[in-house]
Amino acid sequence: MGKSSKDKRDLYYRKAKEQGYRARSAFKLLQLNEEFHFLDDPELKRVVDLCAAPGSWSQVLSRKLFPESADQNEIEDRQIVAVDLQSMSPIDHVTTIQADITHPKTLQRIMEQFGNHQADLVCSDGAPDVTGLHDLDEYVQQQLIMSALQLTVCVLKKGGIFIAKIFRGRDIDLIYAQLGYLFDHVTCAKPRSSRGSSLEAFIVCQGYNPPLDWQPRLDANTSVAEFFQDCHAASYDVAHESRQIAPFMACGSLDSFDSDATY
Amino acid sequence: MEVLSHYGPALCVKFFNGYVYTGYGPFIQVYDYHTGDLKNQCRIFETNKVHGVTFSNSGMALCYGSKSTSLMPLGELSKRSSLVEYERRIGEWIISAEFNYDNNGFFLLTCYNRVLSFDLLGNLIRKSAVYGEKSLLYSGSIKVVSSCKTYVNAGTVMGGIIIWDLFSESIVANLLGHSGSIFYVTMNNDGTLVTSCSDDRSVRLWDLKSQTELSVGWGHTARIWNLLFFNNDSRIISVSEDCTCRIWAVEDNKLLQMAIYEVHLSKNVWGVDVNEQDQIAITSGNDGRLKLIELQPISDSQQVFTLQEISTQSCMIFGKEEIIKGFHWFAFGLIAITSMGKVLKFDDNEGRWEFVLQSDLFTSYSVTNGITNANIVIFSNNKCDLLILKLDPCNGRIIDRQEMHINELSKTQNCMVCRHNSIQDCFLITLESPNPHDPFLCLKFDINTLQLENKYSFIKPVNFSSSCLEVYDSFLLVGSRFSTLAIFNFNNVEQEPYVFRRLTPGDTTTSIHFVEYSQNKHVFAVTNRDGYYTFIGANLDSVEFNGSLKCEVIHDNKISRGFLEGAIFEDSGDLITFGFKSELFYIYNESQCYEIASLVCGGAHRQWKFSRTPDGFILIYIRASSIYFAKIGVSALPRTLRCGTHGREIRDISILKDRKYKNGYLFCTASEDTTIKLCHIEEATGNISTFWTLRKHVSGLQRCKIINDKFMISSSAREELFLWQITTDCNSKPYVTLRQSLPIFCDNPDLRIMDFAVKFVETDAQGFLLATVYSDSAIKLWRYNHQESKFHLLLDGRYESCCLLNVSLFSLDDQLYIMITATNGCLVVYNITDLSNGGDLAPFPDVDCSIRTHQSGIHALDIAVDNTGHSVTAYTGGDDNGLGICYFHLDKFTNRLTPKIKDFQRNAASSTITSCKLLEGREQLLTTSVDQVLRRWSVAGDKLVLEEQRYTSIADTGSLDVVENLLVVGGVGLSVMKNEHH
Ligand SMILES: C[S@@+](CC[C@H](N)C(=O)[O-])C[C@H]1O[C@@H](n2cnc3c(N)ncnc32)[C@H](O)[C@@H]1O
Repeated sequence: MGKSSKDKRDLYYRKAKEQGYRARSAFKLLQLNEEFHFLDDPELKRVVDLCAAPGSWSQVLSRKLFPESADQNEIEDRQIVAVDLQSMSPIDHVTTIQADITHPKTLQRIMEQFGNHQADLVCSDGAPDVTGLHDLDEYVQQQLIMSALQLTVCVLKKGGIFIAKIFRGRDIDLIYAQLGYLFDHVTCAKPRSSRGSSLEAFIVCQGYNPPLDWQPRLDANTSVAEFFQDCHAASYDVAHESRQIAPFMACGSLDSFDSDATY
Repeated sequence: MEVLSHYGPALCVKFFNGYVYTGYGPFIQVYDYHTGDLKNQCRIFETNKVHGVTFSNSGMALCYGSKSTSLMPLGELSKRSSLVEYERRIGEWIISAEFNYDNNGFFLLTCYNRVLSFDLLGNLIRKSAVYGEKSLLYSGSIKVVSSCKTYVNAGTVMGGIIIWDLFSESIVANLLGHSGSIFYVTMNNDGTLVTSCSDDRSVRLWDLKSQTELSVGWGHTARIWNLLFFNNDSRIISVSEDCTCRIWAVEDNKLLQMAIYEVHLSKNVWGVDVNEQDQIAITSGNDGRLKLIELQPISDSQQVFTLQEISTQSCMIFGKEEIIKGFHWFAFGLIAITSMGKVLKFDDNEGRWEFVLQSDLFTSYSVTNGITNANIVIFSNNKCDLLILKLDPCNGRIIDRQEMHINELSKTQNCMVCRHNSIQDCFLITLESPNPHDPFLCLKFDINTLQLENKYSFIKPVNFSSSCLEVYDSFLLVGSRFSTLAIFNFNNVEQEPYVFRRLTPGDTTTSIHFVEYSQNKHVFAVTNRDGYYTFIGANLDSVEFNGSLKCEVIHDNKISRGFLEGAIFEDSGDLITFGFKSELFYIYNESQCYEIASLVCGGAHRQWKFSRTPDGFILIYIRASSIYFAKIGVSALPRTLRCGTHGREIRDISILKDRKYKNGYLFCTASEDTTIKLCHIEEATGNISTFWTLRKHVSGLQRCKIINDKFMISSSAREELFLWQITTDCNSKPYVTLRQSLPIFCDNPDLRIMDFAVKFVETDAQGFLLATVYSDSAIKLWRYNHQESKFHLLLDGRYESCCLLNVSLFSLDDQLYIMITATNGCLVVYNITDLSNGGDLAPFPDVDCSIRTHQSGIHALDIAVDNTGHSVTAYTGGDDNGLGICYFHLDKFTNRLTPKIKDFQRNAASSTITSCKLLEGREQLLTTSVDQVLRRWSVAGDKLVLEEQRYTSIADTGSLDVVENLLVVGGVGLSVMKNEHH
């Protein structure tokens, strides 16, 4: 996702520069939060930011969890772990790991960071290199989501939140259905800072609530599909492919900048 | 809704037993590549695209794509129209498939680097993998070397290639060197060499045993998608995002680039295969094109002669400064003249040069012309001398000659020759003097006797410098520098010529061709060196009749790049252009948009001549004082098996509905690739053919609409909006020309005209109203006047600050309205009744009414004014998956509209609804959405009821138009469907 000259003319791009964010993506997270308030929860302590480079989401998280005004007690057990294929320059209060999130070993490295604690929020803004082979691009994106989800179910506390970037192309309803098995509420949210002309949107999954009879077991030799085999989340068999449409939610107030507009 | 025809991504191609098999969307198409005939189209998968196909020696075919796979007898593939009953799905994405050594089973490689082995009954026999390597693959292949040796070549995302042994499940090699994702990796026949391509634009060759990189092939200028070994592993062929296909020699473990072919229109070139026996390659891509390439390099048929060689063969001694000044090619070979007036002949059969004659008249300056099919060569100098030779068609010996001096001119600076195309036995020579007061002289000769029959002294226009000729009936058409064209009348020499100046931006006119005569129009094609070509329609009959000439440009366009030196029409009607681009000379099929050939000749600044020969073309040129003959044979094979469509998303489709064209309809498509195509659908078959690809826009298109049977409008970024005139009454093809463009107000290249609407007002026969909406929230209203060919701005306003997406113009009672939709989910109406009549720019009125129907952008809008004329119904589809019906009623007392949402389906699609179209009778609404589902809703009684939905294999589904019961759906590709319920 290179920066085209179009990005540079973009108001959000300029605004990001002004506010010291590394990417305009920061506003996507902020606008999601305007609607869902997951970052405003005082109980929010441990967060995993997957596919985090160059790091604007991590910056938002860092500013929210470690406000300058906060006293030491308050922030003591707070923690942010950021993972990406690319290396990231350091951000205050963020532990960065350079790794492939589709690789099973990555999870171990994240878990090591948390010790015995669970995460309250996992977010992933991951996007693969787009090839132009539409169905492959959409599939790889789905796999990225499923990998993120695999990590999530191993670290997320019950009731926790999972947020991930999706492409709303064909078969997105399959993903919605799968997430429906694991979370109480699944919403498809589109921040106003995300261009209407792009397929991009975010799934906001609230209330982690896995099936009682399912124990996620991570093994370096099982694929994502197999991992979810016993959970209904992966009803890959076509006969049972269930589809569902998650409710849509536009995020960010109407007077925020319109990313499709020319200013 | 049934698919009649489909054009779009072709993900794989394979030669097998004399046929080409291609994965074309969810189908396999089978072509006889010798004739170009499509033998069969067979649906393989319900929804998935066919990504690959492989064949066993025992008559089975194995197809795969996404998570689907299908095994079938090959015979059925060429006969049946659907084999979806064979489709099987597995849990993982399939990257590659291969039959095993004994052909009694097959392997599937999945994106998790795992191989599933099946028997021919489809039973899963075994799962194989190497431990701990489960991260996602983009590419990979399986190489069956022997009954006990099968390799898996896996290309990872992180730059590495993992080769593992399928049976021992052990890693054989981990090849590191590429940076970025590996897009393909494959092996040679005996499994000793590996070749791979990647994100990093390199092709690499690896030795398996030593696990070392043997060579890196640089050359492609973008990502490389696919490659394979051929010719006993001595060659590699690769296809890339740079739209080219390249051949690499593998010599002494080194990669050497041997040839480059430009093959596709857009960067997504996916498939490649080679038929070694016939030495042809085929490529496929997102543009839906199947391109055949003959692998014999063109240079094989190129001959070069140095002056020294010519001197030796012809036994002539050349002077120190003596060079070749001119030449002309005939069936027997070449006639050339040197700067010392030596005339030489090259006999093509014997391959030898001979001396013909020497004339001192033609030392230092001469112009050489010829009439190929009459075997006549004409030399002229600047002192008004002519030498005409008639040659023996077999051996080129002189059989007649004519010499003369022209007294009418003081000096000549140019001489041109043309055979008369309707009066049999004559040809014409024109002579032009540098003196502007001298006439433009034309001499008419008998082609058999070379006798001068007539002289015409035409009045020379000012600022005229002749560059090309065409003669038609009693008219002489002469092209000049500064894109000027003059028409002279042989029957009235006194008459001032008709002159057209600045047909195109301005370089030299390079050719004029008579194309057709229909509907009182003589159509001529004119090319210009600056890359523009124009078709003009002139009624020459009227000149004979009353001395006046009606003449207009009916078509104009620009070639994609380079200098345009001329054009040729093929028998099929296709326009072939040729000229120079940088170091190359190109020949291009402009109608179908593919390169026929290109050869390195050193660029435009040289002596050259290009002509047609019975078996192809020949380019003769001088380079470093040697003469080159490059023969370009016309292949016996078709150049493409399918021509395809745009290579990128089709953003809009518009059908000319008022009138049928030939046995179907004309329509246009506007694409992200910045071009508009004017095409034809055959009604019965849904087959699509393209007439023109218009290149006027410089950024991706937003909209394109045919507004009546004469005009089309298109819009894009950079505030571009063009009005095009379509001529449909000529016999051979329709023509399109740019009539006018909308004035531009700001220089922000990102300012997009998102949509426009047109209304023909009854009281105004001279023009129409045009409303435009912009990405910066601006709304403008214009009046177009045909006579003046001008847009007048009537209203200029702004909605808010958000991007506007749609606009409609309509009237209720005697009130005129603009309706817009925006990214904030609102439908907004303005009453513009009083403001559109005056001549002056008026301020924009306040909003009449506004209603927020969607949560965010409304991408689709169609409206219908109700029969009463007091209300209008709007149908809207949005980013929020919603589809709504909103009704606006005109209140007689307040004279204002009141909106009311009649129905709203929140989950009408699982993703953005991109277009909607009300069908005739207003009972049904069609929608397209990015979830690739086409839906038909009943809207009777203002209730949305889903009647039918159908998956389409067109990704990024975004545009739709309907005529009668034909639906045309566009996105990454184009489908024609038949709507049965109507
Ligand atoms: C849109 S960027 C993320 C931007 C980030 N949220 C921010 O605000 O700066 C997408 C990132 O996904 C990462 N990514 C893609 N595939 C990945 C994988 N398999 N594992 C880890 N990161 C990956 C890319 O390297 C890229 O940096």
